[in-house]
Amino acid sequence: MKKSIFAFAALALAFSTASAQVDRSKAPKPSAAPEIKIKDAETFKLENGLTVVLVENHKRPTVSFQLDIDYVPFLEGDKAGNSSLAGQLLSTGTTTKSKEQIDEALDFVGASLNTNSRGFFASTLTKHKDVVLGLASDILLNPSFSQVELDKIKKQTISGLKSNKVDASAIAANVSNVLRYGSDHPYGEIETEESVEAITSESIKEFYTTYFRPNISYLVIVGDVNRKEAEALSKKYFGAWKKADVPVATLPKVEAPEGTQVVFVPREGAVQSVINVTYPVDLKVGSEDAIKASVMNNILGGGIFSGRLMQNLREDKGYTYGARSALRSDENIGYFTANANVRNEVTDSSVTQFMLELNRLRDEPVEASDLSLTLNSMNGAFARGLESSQSIASFALNTIKYNLPKDYYKNYLAKLSAVSVADIQEMAAKYILPNNAYIFVVGSMDVAESLKAFDTDGNITFLNYKGEVEEPNTMQDAPEGVTAEKVYDDYVLAFTATTDMKSALKKIKKLKDVTTKGKASVGPAELDINTFKKAPNMYAMSVLYGGAEVQKQKFNGTSGKSINMQTGASDLEGDELEAMKIQAQFIPEMSYATMGYTSTVLGVDKVNGSDAYVIEVTSPKGDKSKVYFDVNNHLKVKNVSTGEAPTGESFTSITEFKNYKNHDGYLFPMTTEISGAQDLTIEVKEVLVNSKLSSDIFN
Amino acid sequence: MKKTIAFAALGLSTIAFGQSNKVEFTEYDLPNGLHVILHQDNSTPIVAVTMMYHVGSKNEVVGRTGMAHFFEHLLFEGSENIGRGEFDKYIENAGGVLNANTSQDRTFYYEILPSNQLELGLWLESERLLHSKVETKGIETQREVVKEEKRQRNDNTPYGSIMQESFSRAYTDHPYRWTPIGSMEDLNAATEQDFIDFYKTYYVPNNAVLSLAGDFDIASAKKMIAKYFSGIPKGTREMYVPEVKETMLTAEVRDTIYDNIQLPAVIQTYRIPAQGTDDYYAVDLLGKLLSQGSSSRLQKALVDEKQLALGVGAFPFGMEHPGVTLAYVITQSGVDPKDAEEAIQIEIDKVKKDLITDKELQKLKNQVEADFVGGNSRMAGIAESLANYHMYFGDANLLNTEIKKYLDVTPADIQRVANKYFTKDNRVVLYYLPKQ
Repeated sequence: MKKSIFAFAALALAFSTASAQVDRSKAPKPSAAPEIKIKDAETFKLENGLTVVLVENHKRPTVSFQLDIDYVPFLEGDKAGNSSLAGQLLSTGTTTKSKEQIDEALDFVGASLNTNSRGFFASTLTKHKDVVLGLASDILLNPSFSQVELDKIKKQTISGLKSNKVDASAIAANVSNVLRYGSDHPYGEIETEESVEAITSESIKEFYTTYFRPNISYLVIVGDVNRKEAEALSKKYFGAWKKADVPVATLPKVEAPEGTQVVFVPREGAVQSVINVTYPVDLKVGSEDAIKASVMNNILGGGIFSGRLMQNLREDKGYTYGARSALRSDENIGYFTANANVRNEVTDSSVTQFMLELNRLRDEPVEASDLSLTLNSMNGAFARGLESSQSIASFALNTIKYNLPKDYYKNYLAKLSAVSVADIQEMAAKYILPNNAYIFVVGSMDVAESLKAFDTDGNITFLNYKGEVEEPNTMQDAPEGVTAEKVYDDYVLAFTATTDMKSALKKIKKLKDVTTKGKASVGPAELDINTFKKAPNMYAMSVLYGGAEVQKQKFNGTSGKSINMQTGASDLEGDELEAMKIQAQFIPEMSYATMGYTSTVLGVDKVNGSDAYVIEVTSPKGDKSKVYFDVNNHLKVKNVSTGEAPTGESFTSITEFKNYKNHDGYLFPMTTEISGAQDLTIEVKEVLVNSKLSSDIFN
Repeated sequence: MKKTIAFAALGLSTIAFGQSNKVEFTEYDLPNGLHVILHQDNSTPIVAVTMMYHVGSKNEVVGRTGMAHFFEHLLFEGSENIGRGEFDKYIENAGGVLNANTSQDRTFYYEILPSNQLELGLWLESERLLHSKVETKGIETQREVVKEEKRQRNDNTPYGSIMQESFSRAYTDHPYRWTPIGSMEDLNAATEQDFIDFYKTYYVPNNAVLSLAGDFDIASAKKMIAKYFSGIPKGTREMYVPEVKETMLTAEVRDTIYDNIQLPAVIQTYRIPAQGTDDYYAVDLLGKLLSQGSSSRLQKALVDEKQLALGVGAFPFGMEHPGVTLAYVITQSGVDPKDAEEAIQIEIDKVKKDLITDKELQKLKNQVEADFVGGNSRMAGIAESLANYHMYFGDANLLNTEIKKYLDVTPADIQRVANKYFTKDNRVVLYYLPKQ
């Protein structure tokens, strides 16, 4: 094979004479490494408990002020979004200023001030700092929380939520949180249209009064002010803020999932699948493992382009524009995720590669050269970060907030350089958990089926955009001209293995009785399940355990009984009796019309990957069920009926019919899978046709 | 994310410095035509090494769109002395980062390195310019990667096709009618000879600016630059630059796009003059008047008062040839997009009819000052801006002086450009509606 399809070296000869002294074949050596100096931040406290962090930088005449109110996150329940809306509402009016006046004053000096659920971030030219701090202080201490402005924000937020319903990355972000933390953890709560509707100005005021307190807060000043000015400004603008005790929530324990679970959120018309392999991780900020674990993650797919995921899924396979991983430490509970957006056709191949890379990192020690590249790159990233005074400020803030050793960041590079191959393997064993992970995909329904194999139980959990369990609607319109009658006729032809209705009806007339003998497992117990049908309309079923009959149903065409070894016998009545009349038919579908059932074609849907017509059958009483007939072989493949349990709750029972086999000229399903209230798979071992069944069985 | 498409205007229109923060620099040409700009700043031990090539999607021809951006991907593949995949490794091993992006007008590559690795950056960039090498595997892989980039940015993202749909209607002849991502069919059709021709034509020192910013010594930097770049031969092939025939539209174009979205949007695209012209500065300020900050006219009217919009704005895309201003509104739930469009029109009509007040003018100037002083605080940004100003206007010092052009704009100028460019005949109006 040709190694390169083009090389741009036609002029190399001319070039080599021009600068013969340059050796281009080797990378130049670096000169002596520069010293990395971390500027110090200063901190001081006001009497009300507000901690001020200052990083001076007089290079340009600008300054920023950030307020960080450090309360422990808590559940908002049916008002999820309350604190977030409170944060937005804060800047929309004070007791003396309207939103319009605040906006105008800020824009006039070209400054920005954005409020959020934990305070604000403001930046300005130094010369306008008093204007900005005056507004910030007024907003913080005297908010009006006006109903009019709240209504506007609610409307906006709800519009935004509507928009997010179809945004794959927004869905991925929301649902990842629900999966990792559960909806009973503050991190797993998501705003919904309902929860935003439920927020009131009272709930916002309560949040503000409870949590917005100086004694749990940090004011971070970065830029062109000195210590003396910073002290005076803090006191002047935030000295009057009143302290108070703030509640500390206890958070529920979060665990990684049992096994590997495939979770799918369908998105109509998607041309890419957004894949996240994710789970929660208990990794605290600044903990013993934090640096080592982040090196491990960078080798896999953290910040660098040479990460394994990027090299494999993008540079080798061309599956994606970018594949990365993140391992987030957090003071409460962190997470791991490996993600990429890939085209539909390679969704399963991409998941294969993700799992392969996760397992490889666990199973094999990393190459020393991979480790050193990663360490060098992280070393450089740290040094680049120092270009921004905001990084220095965040070092100082983290040191106080998370109670880190005073020299944590000063020692960061030394600790980094000490990370060994063995450390990486230890970290991978601890934090890379492909066998306790969600494989979470937002994408087109067409690709869902291909992901089943990755799930420990072989079942895909389908969620909606809010992270709630919801079976996907995959139904498409049936072609013109498909009627229930036609589908039923085709089924009769298929059942009788004939090609015209006349012969089919003849064969059905010849059918006198049918017996099936099957086996099913329930836990460790093996059951024998036998069914009997006899023309014109008799039915019986018997369940045996260890040879003894534990349950029986029988129906002689007019009346029936249900017999249970433990609860005794009872007569079939009402709905049960009516249902039995139709169940006793060889082909119930042939009797629907005469028995007052109506049938409507709903469309075409997938059953185990094949197209099936979906027919909704409504009983004379109004109960509905859906029956599925394979589009190609015309056989009945699935039945979904919804009923009401004695407790009043509705339940759905799904029955799938598989492995049709021909017995004496008729096709019977050899496997019947029932799921719903109870899961049961019946394997038919024997079918007897016209064995001259005695009517005694049914009486 | 690596290798992105950028719109040059975003960097240029808002960023530069007031006199109080003058950026000092040295500049010169090598005999082969490579322009060199050096800005020394020793406050952090890092250096940004950047190369800007004066080639973008504007230089492409019909049937080969997307070449400039695709090339940006290919030129990370290696060279005579750098194997496939090693480019990234060299930089990351040195503790640096690298990336690149392509706009309609130029392609920009950069590395940010610890300052002791300056020579490595120069070696790599000179290899890229002198004798890049691309293997079949690299081409095939990057084709797929670019297709995924397009899917991720444009096809699978709500409203992601706005640029393509707007530009394709705002221009009829000029190559600005396609966006830098180009056509996937064209990329599939490109031949070996196309690649060689494109490289030999545009990747030449006389079509490039090498701009460094950061912690280095000017004299030794000059020596290293001479070592790696002076022997690279000058390009001789003719470069294709399209003629500017169309400057304004002559009749309104209206269309509807059905997208996978929930909230309807209206996008108006007005043709505007090229960046750097006097009218352009007035158009830029008009954009700020309409949409910079919560008190701006569109924000206040559509978001706050009438509650029609979830988001609204009007942003000029200043480009080397006459560009566009995109005015957009994403409606709130339940709002008729017609009402939203009408509300934008009312605000535009007000600017046409009444002069802005002195207070508003002062606000705009204060905003410009804050943007200039606050912008470009990083070495990479400074290196890029200096290169931009040189490449487009032949005057890198505009970084220090461009603010004057904004401060010279009068209320009458803003009114005049509103009347001249923000007309019905000079625009494309697209309605984005939900598919179902």
